[in-house]
Amino acid sequence: MNAKNWIIEFWHFRELLVALTLREIKIRYKQTLLGTAWAVLQPAALAVIFSIIFGHFLQIESPQTPYIVFYYSALVPWTFFSNSVTFGSLSVVNNSSLVTKVYFPREILPFASIGAAFFDFITSSLIFLMLMIFYKVNPSINVLYLFLIIPSIFIFAAGISLILSTINVMYRDIKFVVPLVLQVWLFATPIIYTIDRIPDSIRKFYVFNPLAPLINSFRQVTVLDKNPSIFELQLAILISIMTFLFGILFFKYKERVFADII
Amino acid sequence: MDSVLFENVSKSYHVSKGKYGLLTDALTNLLPKKSKSAYFENKVNALRNFSFSVKTGDSIGIIGRNGAGKSTILKLISKITYPDSGKVTTIGRIGAFIELGAGLHPELTGRENIYLYGAILGMRKKKIDEKFDAIVSFSEIKKFLDIPIKKYSSGMYSRLGFSVVAHCDPDILLVDEVLAVGDISFQRKCLKKMHSFAQEKTVIFVSHNMEAIKSICSKVIYLDNGKIKMIGSASEAVKRYLDAQ
Repeated sequence: MNAKNWIIEFWHFRELLVALTLREIKIRYKQTLLGTAWAVLQPAALAVIFSIIFGHFLQIESPQTPYIVFYYSALVPWTFFSNSVTFGSLSVVNNSSLVTKVYFPREILPFASIGAAFFDFITSSLIFLMLMIFYKVNPSINVLYLFLIIPSIFIFAAGISLILSTINVMYRDIKFVVPLVLQVWLFATPIIYTIDRIPDSIRKFYVFNPLAPLINSFRQVTVLDKNPSIFELQLAILISIMTFLFGILFFKYKERVFADII
Repeated sequence: MDSVLFENVSKSYHVSKGKYGLLTDALTNLLPKKSKSAYFENKVNALRNFSFSVKTGDSIGIIGRNGAGKSTILKLISKITYPDSGKVTTIGRIGAFIELGAGLHPELTGRENIYLYGAILGMRKKKIDEKFDAIVSFSEIKKFLDIPIKKYSSGMYSRLGFSVVAHCDPDILLVDEVLAVGDISFQRKCLKKMHSFAQEKTVIFVSHNMEAIKSICSKVIYLDNGKIKMIGSASEAVKRYLDAQ
């Protein structure tokens, strides 16, 4: 299937994407006491814990801003990525009854998961905004970089989810691998620390982790009033796009056998 | 004109062998093709060199024992699965009544599910808006429209499923053993709906209910072990099938 046909077909099924995304948003917090508040609580709880342990116990200074703002500013985009990958990687298998009964482009399933995670991201961003107003953190014009940073995280999360959800159809090991890898990834990304704390000898390996510059820049342009490193950002965007392209090709290549082996 | 055309279609399913099946499969897949012994070829043939065509407007029944390949044919037509060899061609929008309610979600309300299931079946939201009242009145669940369907009885569940499917208006209709839903009066209603479909659309109907097959289909394929045993008029094919049991 060539790119043009893919886009035409995807466009044809756009309403299904919307319907499935709404379904994910609606059912995710059904029969929970706190409902959508979980979208905020996930990053907020971690931000509080990090503030206490790394800020007050270990005395790691947070440049210019209160600890809670410092950690929350990185945990908001991180939680978006982490939730996208967690739910996206399971999306095809979790909907096996649909995959074996109805025809539609299967990539709609991981995209719907990411769409729902994006909804949570918006919710927790609103709290972030209130936090910034409360602590009187004024972002500069640099905040416009978010229009590059957020879509890049989105694209990167989609690429990773497409790859993992495909492998998960064949090998359910993915279900156990993803939480483990995400835990390591959290520490391999400048969330608890800033990127300039990393020794130069190790820092060169950070080019392989596009989330490092993306999340670091997210924090820099929102609460630190710093210019992001344009070169690192460009590289991260390039890697994100390439991951996405590889993901969609891999997914479409394997999609035909999903119903047979799921 | 042919709505559905199968040309020399073969389809087999891979069956993994018990313990550590996946690991041995993965390792043997790394070996070059030639060195694989027959031991590792765990294949079940669902269809073998299967050819047939359905003319636009025909109603075709497919009968046969469990595992004869009936559902595989419907899955190939609806592009859920693809053939190993041969070619499947279809013209027109396909609507599949295969396992009703595959798209329904227990936590959502009846109303929400009508929109969700409609979208899954490829209906535009505008179209669902138009048909909403008809769907609700056909399903007879108006009173329970705004409660989660996990509270529904299984009969109400399938009635909702059938009602949405019945209003999605496809060119080619695939039906797999779904008429046994609800109580007798609702079954009659379904059968009536099927009749009116069969008048104007292309219908491919899989069932073990021989009476329903005879009343709806003009032509019947009797399938045995992935091959056509006979194609003929409904009454002949059903008789041959029943005699063979």
